[in-house]
Amino acid sequence: MLRDVGLHVPPGALLRIEGANGCGKSTLLRLVAGADAPSRGRITGRPRRVAYVPDRFPPALPLTALGYLTRLGRIHGLGRRGAAAAADAWLARFAAEEHAGTPLRELSKGSCQKVAVAQAFLAGPELLVLDEAWTGLDRQARRVLDEAVAERVAAGARVVVVDHSPARPAGVGARVYRVEDGRLCDAPAAGRETLVRAVGPPGAVPPDGLPGAPRWRRDAGGYALTVPAEHSDELLRALLGAQPPWHIERLETRP
Amino acid sequence: MTVLLALTRYQSALLLRSHRWLPPLLLYAVLLGVGVRAGEPVLDGLGFAAAALLPSAAWLVRVCVTVEPPAARDCVTAAAGGARAHLASVLAALLASLVLGCAAAGAVLLAGDAHATDRATEIPLPQAAGAGLLAVLACALVGTAIGVAANRPLLRSPAWSVPVTALAAVALLAASASPANAAVSSLVAGSRDGSAPWPLWPCAAALLVAAAVVAPVCLAARRRG
Repeated sequence: MLRDVGLHVPPGALLRIEGANGCGKSTLLRLVAGADAPSRGRITGRPRRVAYVPDRFPPALPLTALGYLTRLGRIHGLGRRGAAAAADAWLARFAAEEHAGTPLRELSKGSCQKVAVAQAFLAGPELLVLDEAWTGLDRQARRVLDEAVAERVAAGARVVVVDHSPARPAGVGARVYRVEDGRLCDAPAAGRETLVRAVGPPGAVPPDGLPGAPRWRRDAGGYALTVPAEHSDELLRALLGAQPPWHIERLETRP
Repeated sequence: MTVLLALTRYQSALLLRSHRWLPPLLLYAVLLGVGVRAGEPVLDGLGFAAAALLPSAAWLVRVCVTVEPPAARDCVTAAAGGARAHLASVLAALLASLVLGCAAAGAVLLAGDAHATDRATEIPLPQAAGAGLLAVLACALVGTAIGVAANRPLLRSPAWSVPVTALAAVALLAASASPANAAVSSLVAGSRDGSAPWPLWPCAAALLVAAAVVAPVCLAARRRG
């Protein structure tokens, strides 16, 4: 379904994946979250605390909202008190505390979605993967989710989202990718950007901390790095000055 | 380890509150009702209680690995890893089987006759209890191994899972090379000669079999199934 996907998710980055229905966005998110494993290739460097919100959360669990969240908190690695406190706090933040004792199967779709989203924030995830998490939430809860995502990004977490509305998540600049024909491509961004095609020493991946924090993907034996145009000179200097140096094959600035 | 414990508690809660443990429990109760009589030699009763547990143990694994909706499983898998999540379902099923088996063994110890088949040689009850519990453990482990091998992620369709489970349960009770058969036979033989040997070797073999099946299947469960 997905082929030749090379994606780097740096700390403190918000990635937004776009694409048509059924193109493989959700599959990509499940792979990133570790809910599925790739049949070929590998995913490395996934942080320890990972949280995932699936596109359709099932209300068919025989637990109350608070019971579910407390158990999930424990599974996310919190202690007994920490899990109970986090469950209470996130239900309250999404204005769902009156549903704490309600069995999940009796909750409305929107309230259930609040539980699904709250679950992901319980333990302060270092990698947060949201598949249409805003869908079904009321206006107030959507705003809370925007804030919570911005907080995670500010705390240095990696966040990867899919959402129908291009306005989500609000308040944080996202790097945008598109899934097309089973491949991952850069989506046109707002400002001018420079694409650098570079080939490193065998087996090397672009190092962290490059100027302009380029987003990169694997590209036919080399790497395609994209930075805001004003960082392109520094990026080239860093690549050429690396030990051993990278080889630059192509340079292209687009509006 | 704490996370595995939390996962097992979560899976046990899902099992308990879903009430899907009821059919395997009824199967076990019916088998016990047919096969165990009050006042019969205690080791014979314990042997039957252990053997009859095997199919229910396999069924409980099927219940535990299918009780969680896929999207809920994805959340848990992202948080804790697919291998650990699957292992926790299996542990929840094994715990439930052991609860059933221990309850049945307790009932047989209370209702059975603490003598050998000749009705003259006395069998000390603590000795019989130890032998019975070890046989229950061996059969629960073998049943669990069958359930793990015959369900998600290896066999996904119930059209395969259910007949494979049933056939494997019969085969592993009947085959003399199976640890479950060895444990039950040891009790029945003990009842005949008036001893109550503890089936330690069959238990160890059952543990090995279960570990050899569960470990690779849990690793395979990292892919969505």
